[in-house]
Amino acid sequence: MDAIARIKQLGMPRRNDELWTFFPVAKIPAPEFPDACASEEDFSGETDFAALLPVAQNARTMVQNIADGSEEMALLKCNNDFGRTVLNIGKNAKASFEILDNKVEHQISAERFDLHVGEGADVEIFFANPANDLPLKFRHFSIEQSANSTVRFSSIERGNGISRVSLDCHLRGNGARFEIRTLNVLGGSSESHHRLHIYHDVPETTSIQFSRNLLDGSSRASYDGSVIVGNGCTKAFSSQLVNTILLSEDSSVSVKPVLKIYHDDVECTHGNTVGELDADQMFYLVSRGIPAEKAKKMLISSFARELFYPLPDSPAKRRLLQVLG
Amino acid sequence: MLSIKNLKASIEDGTQILKGINLEVKPGEVHAIMGPNGSGKSTLSKVIMGHPAYHVDEGAVELDGKNLLEMEICDRANSGLFISTQYPTEIPGVNNVEFLKMALNSKRAYLGQPEIGDDEFKKLIDEKMALLEMDERYRDRGVNDGYSGGEKKRNEILQMAILDPKVSFLDETDSGLDIDALRIVANGINHIMSPEKAVILVTHYQRLLDYIKPTYVHVLRHGKIILSGGPELALKLEEQGYDWIEEK
Repeated sequence: MDAIARIKQLGMPRRNDELWTFFPVAKIPAPEFPDACASEEDFSGETDFAALLPVAQNARTMVQNIADGSEEMALLKCNNDFGRTVLNIGKNAKASFEILDNKVEHQISAERFDLHVGEGADVEIFFANPANDLPLKFRHFSIEQSANSTVRFSSIERGNGISRVSLDCHLRGNGARFEIRTLNVLGGSSESHHRLHIYHDVPETTSIQFSRNLLDGSSRASYDGSVIVGNGCTKAFSSQLVNTILLSEDSSVSVKPVLKIYHDDVECTHGNTVGELDADQMFYLVSRGIPAEKAKKMLISSFARELFYPLPDSPAKRRLLQVLG
Repeated sequence: MLSIKNLKASIEDGTQILKGINLEVKPGEVHAIMGPNGSGKSTLSKVIMGHPAYHVDEGAVELDGKNLLEMEICDRANSGLFISTQYPTEIPGVNNVEFLKMALNSKRAYLGQPEIGDDEFKKLIDEKMALLEMDERYRDRGVNDGYSGGEKKRNEILQMAILDPKVSFLDETDSGLDIDALRIVANGINHIMSPEKAVILVTHYQRLLDYIKPTYVHVLRHGKIILSGGPELALKLEEQGYDWIEEK
């Protein structure tokens, strides 16, 4: 079944669909499709509208192959011609991909990235969206990891519109490790939504999720993160932590951790904090003579920057910290 | 210099912690405040700095004739007041040296002075870190982030040395310090002290006062200073505790 047929079969996203629980689905316009889908790939198993849309809207896919053992740094940029990017990363390759802000000009800006990560490969993929006026933006990531591979996904969302990142990651080889760090810096009426499914398909795999939100105005953020540990997947380790600072009375955050664990010998944790700026930290800074407004900025900046400190020294770390100033 | 008159202060639920504190601190003096746990010693420093958890019910606090209680917290600090709390706050993500530079430049801006240059600041911090025998790790870490209790106290005195306040209120600076660290920190305080400045030390033990000689020793109990004396008072308290004062 091609992408267009699958979308027609699924219908438009609805609030009672658990993939879209927190998203303002009424704001999604009915998309227009070409008469026929050029891609013959079978999408009958795909359930997320956002994963199908780029394929249905765009006939062309950019494929990038990273050879075994090589090192690669690349900038990825989607546009109307290439709404989908497929990255095949070879064994023991080391790759760093920055996704630049897109130029997709459909009613819905939709992109899809497929990563096939070879054994022992080390990959980072990141983006820091500048403030822009794209009304509706979807980014979908489909990741498959082989044994002893590592993927570090890092992002900053600070747009003015409504964005949604959906991500499905399959840890298919022993020793595979997936890390995600997402930061939302939102104001006005902007929204940022994350929906993740991380599958621990074999023993001894690791997934780490950190998400931080700085929400002002009437902005909204959501984090819907599911971890699925399969039967027999012993020694799986998974952690999820979402920290939010609400800078205004009208901002809000929704967090839904889901752990589906089908094996006993695993370690899975989740946590969620929501609050205002730490009063003791504010007092400490102003009691050293720093004016309150500057102190507030320092604390906001430190909350954001701290998220990326654990990253190894890499293009992603340098870029994201540079963006945060 | 620092004048506290009939200071009464409460917490949010209306419980009054300070019940009429009177204290006059003159330039060049070192005042030690002692007293049992829960007597209001830590509250006193926070109230005069303006901590939002406390409400001043009555009284006056002046620094060189300026009414501190009417000033913003940052202005109190920039006017020359420094407090070091018993448990210094950790601020991960705020670099220690950048924080110190911003604090110093805030004070300079308040006093109408230009920002300190990079070279001058480096020289200043190198000198003060050497005084306190602090290692290089302090430069790159977040403010008090992951520091041991003793490291935090040493970092507090580094801030005091950089900001060069007129009056420093140091709350249990000796707690968490080993014998060597106590000597280093005490020497640092003595070095920073001058005839134009004053220090108020809150402590439970004579050991800090062996290094920093107090001009006066006060006993704070039930939110009031109930007894004042010279350095000999601290020795008597160390020997006999506090009960004899109430009996008297």
